[in-house]
Amino acid sequence: MQRIFQIDGEEAECWLSHDGNNMNLNTPDGVIPCQLEPTGTPGGYVLRMRGRAQNVRLAVGPDATFVHLNGKTYAVGRVDPAERLAGNDSGAADDRIVAPMPGVVVSVNAKPGDHVKEGQPLLVIESMKLETSLIAPRDGVVAEIPFAAGDSFGLKATLAQLAPEEE
Amino acid sequence: MRRIESQIDTNAPDYKANYAAMSERLKEFHARQEAARFERPQRDIDRLARQNKLGVRERLKLLLDPGTPFLEFSTLAACREYDGAVPGAAVVTGIGIVQGREVAIHANDASVKGGAWYPHTVKKIVRLLDVALENHLPVIHICDSAGGFLPLQHGVFPDRYLGGRVFRNQVKLSQANIPQIAVVGGHCTAGGAYVPTLSDYNIIIEGTGAIFLGGPPLVKAATGEEVGVQELGGAVMHTSVSGTGDYRAATEQHAFSLAREIVSQWKRKPKTIIETASFEEPYYDPKELYGIIPKDRKTQFDMREVLARIVDGSRFHEYQPDYGTTMICGYAHIWGYKVGILANNGVLFNDSSLKAAHFIQLCNQNRTPLVFLQNITGYMVGREYEERGIAKDGAKMLMAQGGSVVPKFTVIANASYGAGNYGMCGRAWDARTLFMWPQAEIGVMGADQAANTMADVKIRQLEREGKELTEEEIAAIRDPVLEKFRQDVEAYTSTSELWDDGILDPADTRNALGMSISASLNAPIEDPHYGIFRL
Repeated sequence: MQRIFQIDGEEAECWLSHDGNNMNLNTPDGVIPCQLEPTGTPGGYVLRMRGRAQNVRLAVGPDATFVHLNGKTYAVGRVDPAERLAGNDSGAADDRIVAPMPGVVVSVNAKPGDHVKEGQPLLVIESMKLETSLIAPRDGVVAEIPFAAGDSFGLKATLAQLAPEEE
Repeated sequence: MRRIESQIDTNAPDYKANYAAMSERLKEFHARQEAARFERPQRDIDRLARQNKLGVRERLKLLLDPGTPFLEFSTLAACREYDGAVPGAAVVTGIGIVQGREVAIHANDASVKGGAWYPHTVKKIVRLLDVALENHLPVIHICDSAGGFLPLQHGVFPDRYLGGRVFRNQVKLSQANIPQIAVVGGHCTAGGAYVPTLSDYNIIIEGTGAIFLGGPPLVKAATGEEVGVQELGGAVMHTSVSGTGDYRAATEQHAFSLAREIVSQWKRKPKTIIETASFEEPYYDPKELYGIIPKDRKTQFDMREVLARIVDGSRFHEYQPDYGTTMICGYAHIWGYKVGILANNGVLFNDSSLKAAHFIQLCNQNRTPLVFLQNITGYMVGREYEERGIAKDGAKMLMAQGGSVVPKFTVIANASYGAGNYGMCGRAWDARTLFMWPQAEIGVMGADQAANTMADVKIRQLEREGKELTEEEIAAIRDPVLEKFRQDVEAYTSTSELWDDGILDPADTRNALGMSISASLNAPIEDPHYGIFRL
């Protein structure tokens, strides 16, 4: 798999390899032999490729490498392939919040009909000496919260339900 | 490796309240540590000056490479014992750098009770020598002790892990080709005489250092012979007549320059090679941990946020991210060293226990050291879970964890209750180092649960005798028990008793782990092998 770079906002794929004599830039459009030699000045290099020699200056930052070439500066960032290729989370979030374990409701922070934002706490439960805040899985309207503070519940009991999303 | 995306809002009121609460705790913690290190009654300071001796901290400064870190262990040992009158248990221990090499240091603190060995002193020295044995670290002993504290002689002398264990460990170190130096800067009397004599090299400081099995008063009482300290066991006699001492030092400064010279004679053994990457500071500021750790211990928090402030570049490769989600497992780097991390994100269920057991085996196969970050209230209880075999799944986790051959390191970040403490490599499970955060708690169960359980037993007993109790009477039974348990589970109790190697400012966790991992690589890693997994 080739590396993914982001150059001034656009993605480019390539891989640098070595054949024993030359460095080769492997791009989706073919292999380009190339060479980068330091000139001795800080950040200064000569780039040789496609029969041309060009002066470049490089500056390496934590998030991107800055390349000064032909009077223009490009920001080149690396994109993590596992992150880039993961895609979006599959499917919509579940409307139902089920009990991850048996326990007791400590407090209820929303009521049926409330408009809630993703991540907003709906209720707090206690089990095994631990208070856990259960949050809204998405923006929506609360349909039901069947338990009140002090009630106990069993494993996988529905603790809150959001109204179905309208298409 | 991907960076953890923090969800923390540093402007949120909760974050700010947590930050303030932790800062307050740390102020107290740092003040207590400072006092344990430096605050002494004037008469003790005067006595050292009169004896022409340097304090233990000045001695360490002479011994160690300037500008290098010293990982001090259990600074607050014995802080809840002996009415707080024996700070640090009268001894300083730790891992430091001498001539560019990692060494374990055991230094008596003669400004505390003349450096006498109390029960907690012995425990602290034995622990340090265990650290040296496990990690193959050379030991430098700085001897200056009045001897065993006689009123508590049974707490320092006879049992398996008491005084004799200090000398036994010295023998085992020598047997394992791990060198030791003793710098004698005070009297080494009776048992104490064996610390320098069992060391491969020893240096006696002229005038203040002396070694004898029985000091002048004891000799007089036993045989009637009258003899002075210098003739009986001084530097000149031992280095020129008996051969008990190797080097005579004119001054303290001379003694430590000799010790450093001796260290540089040793053959440097190659360290164990594990996977490394180039060093990277965490992307997120470790000080943000203060705002992440909830001020109420019962409040749940995401351990990934903690990891993001400990590991290199805040980068983490998570293993089985969607299975057994109360147990976070994955790879990261600390100080460039590849580690496998196990961090609690809730109660241990069947699936989370199995995931942990599997991941531990992966790390052993891969020779990757393990880091345990504890916030565990226990393994799940109840009929459903017993039927699914929670006890046997927990046993698998213990079998994998306890049977590990790779170095293990534990940080008790918050709760450490019940068998969760065992599964997550608590003190009994041979973590190379184990540290606690100041707000962390350790116990068979939480203080509330323990107090309620004990009160219930008492109340039922009284009911059987036909006594009906009022609310006030119940409170009168429960409250004192609760108060005692609250103290018992505190980090200060644990560190006083040496159930850990010290309390850490959370922001220092990364460096403490980095030094511990680096030190552990002085010892080889054997091939993995396990006991029977109850499948």
